[in-house]
Amino acid sequence: MTLLSYRAAAAVKRLKAVAKHPYFGFVLFGLVLIAFRLLSLGGLIPNSLMKPLVLTMIYAIVALGFSLLLGYGGLASLGTAGFVGLGSYVIGHFSGTLGYPFLATLAISLVGAVVLGAIVGFISLRIEGMYLAIITLGLSEILKEVFKSFNAFTNGVNGLGFRNFALFGLPVSDFAVDLIVIVVFILLIVGTLNIIKSPTGRALLAMKNSDSAAQSMGIGLMKYRLLAFVLATIYAVIGGMLYMADQKFSIPTTWTLDFSLNILAAVVVGGAQSITGILLGTFMIFGLNMTVLNNIPFFLAYPDATWILNGVLIILVTMFYPGGLIRLLLTVKFRLVKAVNILKKKWRRYRYGEDD
Amino acid sequence: MAKMIERRLLGYRLHLLIRLRDKKQFWDSYLPIRLAAIAERRDRRIAAIGLRTEAGLRSAAVAAGIDTPVAALERDARLKRLDERFAWKAKALVQSRRRALAKHPDDAGVAASFDRKDADLASRKETRRAAILLGNRPEGAGSAAAKEAYETRLKVAQDVSRIESERLAADAERVLARIHAEHQKKTSAIGARIARLEAGVASLKDASAAAELLPEGVHLRLKNLSMRFGGLLAVDNLSFDVRQGEIFGLIGPNGAGKTTIFNCITRFYRPTSGTMWYRRNAVETIRLNDFPVHDIVRQGIVRTFQNVELVWELSILDNLLVGAHTVYRSGFFHQLFHTRKLRREEEVMRARAMGVLATLGLAPYAFAYPYGLPYGILKKVEVARTLMAAPKLIILDEPAAGLNDKETEELAVLIRKIRDDYHATIFLVEHDMGLVMDVCDTVCAISFGKMLAIGTPAQIQANALVRQAYLGEES
Repeated sequence: MTLLSYRAAAAVKRLKAVAKHPYFGFVLFGLVLIAFRLLSLGGLIPNSLMKPLVLTMIYAIVALGFSLLLGYGGLASLGTAGFVGLGSYVIGHFSGTLGYPFLATLAISLVGAVVLGAIVGFISLRIEGMYLAIITLGLSEILKEVFKSFNAFTNGVNGLGFRNFALFGLPVSDFAVDLIVIVVFILLIVGTLNIIKSPTGRALLAMKNSDSAAQSMGIGLMKYRLLAFVLATIYAVIGGMLYMADQKFSIPTTWTLDFSLNILAAVVVGGAQSITGILLGTFMIFGLNMTVLNNIPFFLAYPDATWILNGVLIILVTMFYPGGLIRLLLTVKFRLVKAVNILKKKWRRYRYGEDD
Repeated sequence: MAKMIERRLLGYRLHLLIRLRDKKQFWDSYLPIRLAAIAERRDRRIAAIGLRTEAGLRSAAVAAGIDTPVAALERDARLKRLDERFAWKAKALVQSRRRALAKHPDDAGVAASFDRKDADLASRKETRRAAILLGNRPEGAGSAAAKEAYETRLKVAQDVSRIESERLAADAERVLARIHAEHQKKTSAIGARIARLEAGVASLKDASAAAELLPEGVHLRLKNLSMRFGGLLAVDNLSFDVRQGEIFGLIGPNGAGKTTIFNCITRFYRPTSGTMWYRRNAVETIRLNDFPVHDIVRQGIVRTFQNVELVWELSILDNLLVGAHTVYRSGFFHQLFHTRKLRREEEVMRARAMGVLATLGLAPYAFAYPYGLPYGILKKVEVARTLMAAPKLIILDEPAAGLNDKETEELAVLIRKIRDDYHATIFLVEHDMGLVMDVCDTVCAISFGKMLAIGTPAQIQANALVRQAYLGEES
């Protein structure tokens, strides 16, 4: 008995050590999401909840890439929509219409992402701040026009449909697509975490704080600006591919400034430097009205009111918590701990006399 | 032509030499970290064996009525907890008695009932205490048979635990020996390459043209440096030498062009004309004009800034790691997957950063964030950050700006200490004459981009031109 209890104590200790690992929370989150998906197979969770969750995850992938750019590199870009759209058309055209093997499509899209990211990165060496945002916006608009008129590739303004595609010879079902989204999502979170906690992440932050200080420490602006843009573009293209696999349809009117601004809002509202914050922000901007608000009768009657509520939330968060939702959460936690401590103290004074 | 090729070859070899030395230093600093980790794991495992053996013997010990040391410790802890809990209860009782008496001041029944409660509490405590002291001993514990059974089990358990511990210790010993051997092999191979290269370099040294460019002992030479911003000539045909291992001060009234000179050396500005020669090592001399800004630190020149330029989102320790950016050898792949190579490197860098922080007396702030720390500390952190890149020439831009007298005195000590411990040349711009005259070996005074005087602090103080520039015509 005593030996058993000793063993149990040792096991708990080991588990605690595992739980402290920075990946633990996110991996657990992924497992919970997979469990959700399995439950929705049995009908325990309605599809109307699961579908928006998967879409939110796809947007969160794009937002993660964007946070590397904005939160770490300090580079503002409004070109996200174009890159996500490009990813969706690449998989739609090459895997769907032409029936290329998936690995070939992946290679094409990654090469495209690197080239595009490098181009924008070069531009960012010369132009900064607002002007960079405008230039990337222009680039995104050019891409949108290309999507509209390049019929052979994108099927023009009618939008491109996407059949179920095959992965390594196996047809991929809707369920498998959702699982792939979840796995890629968690893998990219872990990858982002690794980049943030390594010399590259610190170099990006140094560059954001002061170009000249970063350079004097041997951080080449060209290398790291290019890297930031290439990474963000790769995330966006991956997000676009998953979007196409999930939604099976892509139309140029999706890839407008609205989308880029929403991603920007998600990152800023959530807290540009915290992965948890970005997930929260993405959920607030994209997931909230799809999962929660659409089930409330008032918002069903006036669907546009969700956007008003969203706008109000953005204004409130940015006014009172410039650090983002994550800062709000941390503040709430801090206040709660403080309040509990005060209550405890009061109770002790009442119960045990004046000293604590 | 042949001479040029020879010099290129030499440069390449020196580059290789530096990289190899870095590598050797890396493995040398990694060894103690690794050994300590293995020894710690061994100790933890051996301690765990002891606890496990004890836990296995517990029931036999209870039956035999014998205390094992851990059981005794646990009992003491339980008794202590019991005492504490009952102390609180007694306090609460006193409090409620006071409250009840205040409510019914002349009711004798109240006092009596509280006396009863007190007695009740005391008796309950005694019962618990007795139970704990007894443990969960069954009837007839401590019989001869039980004791004998315990003895035999103890003997077996002790043997098992001894054997296991010895096995663990031997395993650890073997691992330690293997690591030592591997390290020896690795570093001796590197050492042999270093020795070969050094020999080769030494034979080439005489043939090198370094001596033509910079005389022995000169670390940095500015020759006819000019910097023009539109119509303003900020630096006007300035030439001076900074000698190896000295503390060189550059002074001058506001707008004299001191920071411009710094920015020229660190390549933030492109000088209009003039050359900057820099002795990279014993034989290699380079023209700083040929290097981009972010390569300057790789040549061994690191600077600080007038206003503190730290990364506000990172802890002090991580800020120092930013300073070590050029020392890292792990590529992007290693960083993306956090491979062993990167983790090893991070450990070594962290240890190195902690060492630097300890020498500068900043160890308590290692995990703090720069927000809200005193200005003097932040200035010191900036100096600490320069040390992470193994600099040969440290450029300090107004290190004492914004510091109080005490902090400035500390800074003077620190600057000397860095020069002596890290064998670096220090080149500083400063307005605080006390500091300059105190620490500098050579002082150069400039005004409106032109040299006024250069010499020892005493010479500069006595110089009429300098006095005039600072104090005006009359004095």
